[in-house]
Amino acid sequence: MSDAEIDSMSFEDAMKELESVVGKLEHGDATLEQSIALYERGARLRAHCERRLRQAEERVEKIMLSASGEPAGTTPVEGL
Amino acid sequence: MTILYSHPASERHVTPSGHPEQVARHRAVLDALDGLPLTRRDAPLADDADVLRCHPERYLTRLRAAVPAQGQVALDGDTWLSPGSLDAALRAVGAGCAAVDAVLAGEDRSAFVAMRPPGHHAERETPMGFCILGTAAIAAKRALDHHGLDRVAVLDFDVHHGNGTQDLLWAKKRAFFASTHQMPLYPGTGAASEQGAHGQILNLPLPPGSGGAEALAAWTTIAARLRDWAPGLVIVSAGFDAHAADPLASLNWDESDFAAITGLIVDAAGAAPVVSVLEGGYDLAALGRSVRAHITTLGGIAA
Repeated sequence: MSDAEIDSMSFEDAMKELESVVGKLEHGDATLEQSIALYERGARLRAHCERRLRQAEERVEKIMLSASGEPAGTTPVEGL
Repeated sequence: MTILYSHPASERHVTPSGHPEQVARHRAVLDALDGLPLTRRDAPLADDADVLRCHPERYLTRLRAAVPAQGQVALDGDTWLSPGSLDAALRAVGAGCAAVDAVLAGEDRSAFVAMRPPGHHAERETPMGFCILGTAAIAAKRALDHHGLDRVAVLDFDVHHGNGTQDLLWAKKRAFFASTHQMPLYPGTGAASEQGAHGQILNLPLPPGSGGAEALAAWTTIAARLRDWAPGLVIVSAGFDAHAADPLASLNWDESDFAAITGLIVDAAGAAPVVSVLEGGYDLAALGRSVRAHITTLGGIAA
């Protein structure tokens, strides 16, 4: 799967695949030759998940701003 | 001086086209060592008795039956046998044992086994990760059981964890095994919590993307344990795939890091001789430069 396909994945799908990749690496299910490609895909999936989380945080911050109506800065939301 | 063991049989272990553990690795290593003042010897065939120090007879029988008359057969997704493969693996083991005998007889302070296939992934009855026989562990057991040494050490700086060596030495109280390796990566073992049946195993996993500074910190820790262990012989599983140019991992070591780690090992070994055995390393140019840095430091040869 290409980077472009990762870019279009939902957070849930990317997280699910990342968990599967980590599981394969931890349990030695990958061959030595595949292992590095699997690790690199895992790193891209992780970066994508982090990007998706940041986007969600930014959206929540915007929502909070418009609800209060006061342009007094943003409030990061815990627990995302 | 250092004794260099090699044999053309290494080039008759033929993996499929495009396989990273390829015949050309052997040539790259020998070319890189060309011109150095080394005592060059042919790798002898191992006696079955030495193989049986680590592997049961039925495993050797199974391997002999699996060797194809022509072409190649896969033992797992990574590990292949061609008609010359078992002969090559037996000469790697034979060279490891001959190197132990030679340095313990005082013929030299160090030796290097430039053979393939590598060995540190091979478990008791499981060939894997390009490996068929546990060359380093067999050499360690020969030093303990045949030569009667009180203690040996096996140190593994290949980028992949030496699960096979760990498996074969897990309960061996007089064998200290230490390994640095990238984690996560194949084969998935080598967590710091894996410490052997007698606390005599030290695993120091390194994060992907880390370089020489992290490596030297880890090897300084291992060198301190090695000094305390005070073995009669040090065996090194020398893989060069932690090099930044290697296609199969993502650590960022360079030739000077391999030289520095070798220096730490030689220094901490003190009076004990050192037998180094080639494991991985898949970028041919980086492999050559790194092996040369390792051997010139090991043998105290002016580069």
